[in-house]
Amino acid sequence: MSIITIEHLTKEFRLGQLQGLGGSIRHQLGRLAGRRAPPPPMFRALDDVSFTIEAGEVVGIIGHNGAGKSTLLKLISNITAPSAGRIRIAGRVAPLIEVGAGFVPELTGRENVYLNGAILGLSRREVDRQFDDIVEFAEMAPFIDTPVKRYSSGMKVKLAFAVATSVEAEILIVDEVLAVGDLAFQRKCFDRMESFIKHRGHTVLLVSHNIRQVVRMCDRVMMLDQGRVVADGEPLQVAERFYAQSNKKIQDHQLDAARLNGKVRSSGEIDLLEVGLVDAAGVAIDQVRSGDPLRVRVRLELNQALPDPEIVVGTHTTDFFYLTAGSTATLEHPPQLRLGVNEIDCLIPSFPMVAGTYCVRLAVFDGSGRMVLAGETLAVFQVTPPADEAHRPPLRNLHLPTAWVVNEQSFEERG
Amino acid sequence: MAVMRELLAYRELMVTLAWKNILVRYKQAYLGLSWAVLKPLLMMLIFSVVKAFVGIETGGMPYPILAFAALMPWIFFQESASEGVNSVVGNASLIRKIYFPREIFPITATLTKLAELFISFFILAGLMIFYQVAPTWQVVWVPLIIFYTLIVSLVFSLVGSAINVYYRDVGVAIPVLLQIAMYISPVIYPLALVQSRLLEDQAAGSLSEMLYFIYTLNPLAGIIDAFQRTMLYGQSPDLSSLWPGMLVTVVLLPISYRFFKAAETRFADVI
Repeated sequence: MSIITIEHLTKEFRLGQLQGLGGSIRHQLGRLAGRRAPPPPMFRALDDVSFTIEAGEVVGIIGHNGAGKSTLLKLISNITAPSAGRIRIAGRVAPLIEVGAGFVPELTGRENVYLNGAILGLSRREVDRQFDDIVEFAEMAPFIDTPVKRYSSGMKVKLAFAVATSVEAEILIVDEVLAVGDLAFQRKCFDRMESFIKHRGHTVLLVSHNIRQVVRMCDRVMMLDQGRVVADGEPLQVAERFYAQSNKKIQDHQLDAARLNGKVRSSGEIDLLEVGLVDAAGVAIDQVRSGDPLRVRVRLELNQALPDPEIVVGTHTTDFFYLTAGSTATLEHPPQLRLGVNEIDCLIPSFPMVAGTYCVRLAVFDGSGRMVLAGETLAVFQVTPPADEAHRPPLRNLHLPTAWVVNEQSFEERG
Repeated sequence: MAVMRELLAYRELMVTLAWKNILVRYKQAYLGLSWAVLKPLLMMLIFSVVKAFVGIETGGMPYPILAFAALMPWIFFQESASEGVNSVVGNASLIRKIYFPREIFPITATLTKLAELFISFFILAGLMIFYQVAPTWQVVWVPLIIFYTLIVSLVFSLVGSAINVYYRDVGVAIPVLLQIAMYISPVIYPLALVQSRLLEDQAAGSLSEMLYFIYTLNPLAGIIDAFQRTMLYGQSPDLSSLWPGMLVTVVLLPISYRFFKAAETRFADVI
């Protein structure tokens, strides 16, 4: 017997404004008179979703904004009713959706702990028993008798999280609550959630945009897209798929925006024919994996002789933070360019940036250092995460290989 | 029955929410809870002044205490109805985030007003001592009368609060409607006056009996009369003025509950 069974679940929302009373009456009268009004436009937030969850499973739900994650949680926690399909739940559901929804600014922290506890289904006695724990965890002891309206937003969230995670229920529903407070408190929340999940044997549904967190905490991950379950299974694989989709989306968006910014200033001596990425075989590409070689190919046409030129190829972020730059001036024997078309490849053996969108810039100077040609955002490319991204620590911008020596024994990274 | 059991399971939440309502209302008010009794007291004073001009037959009972005893159940009904109607919309943030039976909001609104009604009893006791009106054992009816009033206001606020989610017109219209309802209820004047005009004087001719019946279809007519009788006059409630209103309530309660439950499924989408 599964603890949650979802069968052909569909949820539609009516688009646009609710009709006023007058419009509604006219509509009903029209129906009585046999006229058929056009059906209102509907938005399908969930489209024929079916799955089961067994007791004790920790299931992550990921997907882009508007994929239907929150709608699914709302349906499971009985906040809203499905348009079609069935939900069967064998157990008590405790929704930790958006902590602090029930906080009343006029009341003190203490009063709010009791109120919020009651809303989440804790009895007064249970709150009594856990009160000290809650306050201590939230680090709120000095402020507990101050009205919540005087709290900072971080304080509110901390207290709310502490109350929410003291609930006992068979099924926990967690929607983005982990992203609370400062870094130190986030860490604490994360540990608390983890012990909550791992040690008490609850069934947990977790929605988050923090994919690494989801992968780490869940045994199973579902990916939603436009109201459908598009992937369901082993966390790392689903996460990988999500990254791929995510990057595609960002890229489509940012490429368009970045291309508009591409500008070349030229003295007229050189024409820029082409800038782009190629792979080892010379085929044009627009994405590389983090840590893999990056090869930028430039094709220039010289209209007049340009002795001893200096060519600079660099990369920058979409918001013009300059990252790398390589110059032919540092070469032992700088190359010369010939009249007509030249093809130049600049190769970085391992491009170290983490996943994201990056751009190529180019500059050419003549022998005396006068700028002949310069441009930014001449090509836009995507860096995809390395295969083992889920194991990587989250806070970094550069993807550099590291080696370790522990007790005089050397350790290398996985191939 | 299942409904009662579910409500019982949520009793603690209801009590906590009612306690919250009271705390929030009076937290930053210097006069605090005394506001709850100030309203009936002031209205009693105004009514007494009006009475001095128009003359209302009170049958020997001092008018201020008669008016106060009418205002207690009336204000309890009026406030719990208007709070109840706005209670669902007022808790929109909770409704969008978490599930519990939504009828808890109108019920809690009524419970909150029950606490304020309780305080008014001290004022009534003071007035009874002042005017030397002694209570009799008939006051045992009072809890029942209050319970009946509670049900009546629930019938009203269940329907009102559900419609209010879809059309906020209701929330705006309610104060006006309740104002009108006060004049067609025996608040300013006692029910005995209506009885004597219609039943004894036959003021509306052959329609008089019919008009009186229609008048008592309003549950508040019977409630206010019964409250005054049992508290002040030491008489038992007058069934003849109670039953039409009771009939209306018994018929409407299940209908309004079903209406509320049917509307409830889409609250979170619409609110």
